[in-house]
Amino acid sequence: MRTGDYKQTYGELVALIESPPIWLWSAVLLLALIVAPYVLNAYALSFLMIILITVTGALGLNILTGYTGLISLGHVGFLVTGAYAYAILVAKYHLPPLIGFLGAGLVPALASLIVGAPSLRLKGLYLAITTLAFSFIINTVILEMRWLTNGARGLSVQRPEILGISFDSDAAFTYLCLGVATLTLFATLNIRRSRVGRAFVAIRDNDTAARVMGINLHAYKLLAFVTSAFITGLAGALYGIYLSFVSVEGFPFLLSIEALAILIVGGLGSALGAVLGTVLIVLLPEAARLVFSFFSAQLDAVFTTGAQELKSMLYGLVIILFLRFQPRGLVGAWHDIRRAWVNWPLRY
Amino acid sequence: MQYLLQLLISGLAIGAIYGLIAMGFAVIYKSTGLVNFAQGEMTMITAYIAWTISTTVGGNVVVVAFGAILAAILLGLIIERVVMRPMLGEPVFATVMVTIGLAVILRSAINFIWDAYPHGLDVGMGRDIVRFDGIGVRTGQIAVIATLLALLAAIWAFFRYSKMGIAMRAVAADDRTALLMGISASRVHAMAWAASSVIAGIGGVFFALSYDLSPAMFQLGLKAFPATILGGLDAVLGSGLGGLLIGITENLAGGYLGSDMKEIAGFAMIIVVLMIRPFGMFGERDIERV
Repeated sequence: MRTGDYKQTYGELVALIESPPIWLWSAVLLLALIVAPYVLNAYALSFLMIILITVTGALGLNILTGYTGLISLGHVGFLVTGAYAYAILVAKYHLPPLIGFLGAGLVPALASLIVGAPSLRLKGLYLAITTLAFSFIINTVILEMRWLTNGARGLSVQRPEILGISFDSDAAFTYLCLGVATLTLFATLNIRRSRVGRAFVAIRDNDTAARVMGINLHAYKLLAFVTSAFITGLAGALYGIYLSFVSVEGFPFLLSIEALAILIVGGLGSALGAVLGTVLIVLLPEAARLVFSFFSAQLDAVFTTGAQELKSMLYGLVIILFLRFQPRGLVGAWHDIRRAWVNWPLRY
Repeated sequence: MQYLLQLLISGLAIGAIYGLIAMGFAVIYKSTGLVNFAQGEMTMITAYIAWTISTTVGGNVVVVAFGAILAAILLGLIIERVVMRPMLGEPVFATVMVTIGLAVILRSAINFIWDAYPHGLDVGMGRDIVRFDGIGVRTGQIAVIATLLALLAAIWAFFRYSKMGIAMRAVAADDRTALLMGISASRVHAMAWAASSVIAGIGGVFFALSYDLSPAMFQLGLKAFPATILGGLDAVLGSGLGGLLIGITENLAGGYLGSDMKEIAGFAMIIVVLMIRPFGMFGERDIERV
């Protein structure tokens, strides 16, 4: 009788993907995503774009909060820095978009060194507060540096043309987002199984023990900040292009909360969790609207007038309910179901 | 000189409001060990309820004050019982995230129940301007400073002499031992949430009196953060003083460096403070044993 998956060698423990069926399903999913732009209408396609961009950002935060256990309430700061770096390089100084994307990664990475430095002394709540302070300070800095950022008026951004390929149409831009999201997924999965990723997890689980094992806490915490900010900055650039306009108002503080909600709902510290969480959180308002309109037209009317409020109330509720009843997130639920399926009719 | 004095006094007044909210943070942190990210929203709700009472009943000061305090107590108790108590014993990260979720819900609920426009809370007093030597001060501003000082004294006495205050300190120091000594930790937690809600709510009502009431008021919570970090998260009195300091710093930065600096002066200050004394000016250093 099959009783579960057992790993017998170290090689299996650090394998990129556990078993062949996962390769198969991933390939099917990728194929579906490639076909999607031709099948979906414009409305559904915009959701797909948002999901792909958000996945990138969530995977970035996952490195910091999920792997390394450092809570950041200021990730929207890196997002907005990335978006501005891209907009300034490409829209203002007319540099090629590829250089723009590189800048969108590097500038937040540099900024993260400044935020990361205090984190070497701070833990938990205090770190959360410093990152929160950072995201407010960065907004003020952007508004103040009018000569570079246009202040409150913002910068408008065009869809890019990279290596002769134009990403002007929605379908093409979806492919660009898909490419970045897929690369990020591979990168974070690989980071997780590498020496660096295992050091991150060791710091999360017990930093004193990690230090005793010879892990340089300062270096690895800063590294986590830098990698995380780099990826988040890329997501910021994509989001700026998606909005076609970069301004401080386009990146509200709620995005930081939303990102944490995604990780919690999906399951902290798991790449699969970041993906599942994103899909759920992005589609949640839409799904709620569908359910409401199904029940009665009156509820639907309430939902249209107070849509923004109800949407954020739902975020809050989902965060609280998941923390209360399923702290391991969707990934945890999936593992429970899988175990129940394999072991049935036994309990364990 | 006059400009400086004017800045200092209005800094003290806004600082007293930050101080009250910061004390709200500290009361909860001291007895439950978590930072309540929904503090600003709770402050705002109390102010909105006070406004609703004042417009429906007609603005009698006593009625508004009692109604607002009662509402704040209820709000604190309900949140503790419904949202926070089930999370007892969970990791700090989880409980703090719950308060963030709560903050998001409360903030949207306010926009949903009331509206998104600014209102003035008018109870017939607090807006008159008194002049000392050419420096104009609103009576409401004097009142809030006096309230803060009175509350500081009252809370000091409460933690020092009352049975409940000593119980709260015991739970904060070591909840398991406190439980063994026959202290009901859940009662202490409920008490802390109610007290914090009332103290912060008073700050909110005073803010609405001196300035105005708007959905952006939750930012008071973010502004009071630096104050409580500065004073020490576990130092209730220190947080109150921290509020005054942050208020003055902010106003001086706003007056001499520009209005944008005013917004972030507090945050810049806490980053510096956290790097030098991570446990605040009056906080206790955590000793970690392996």
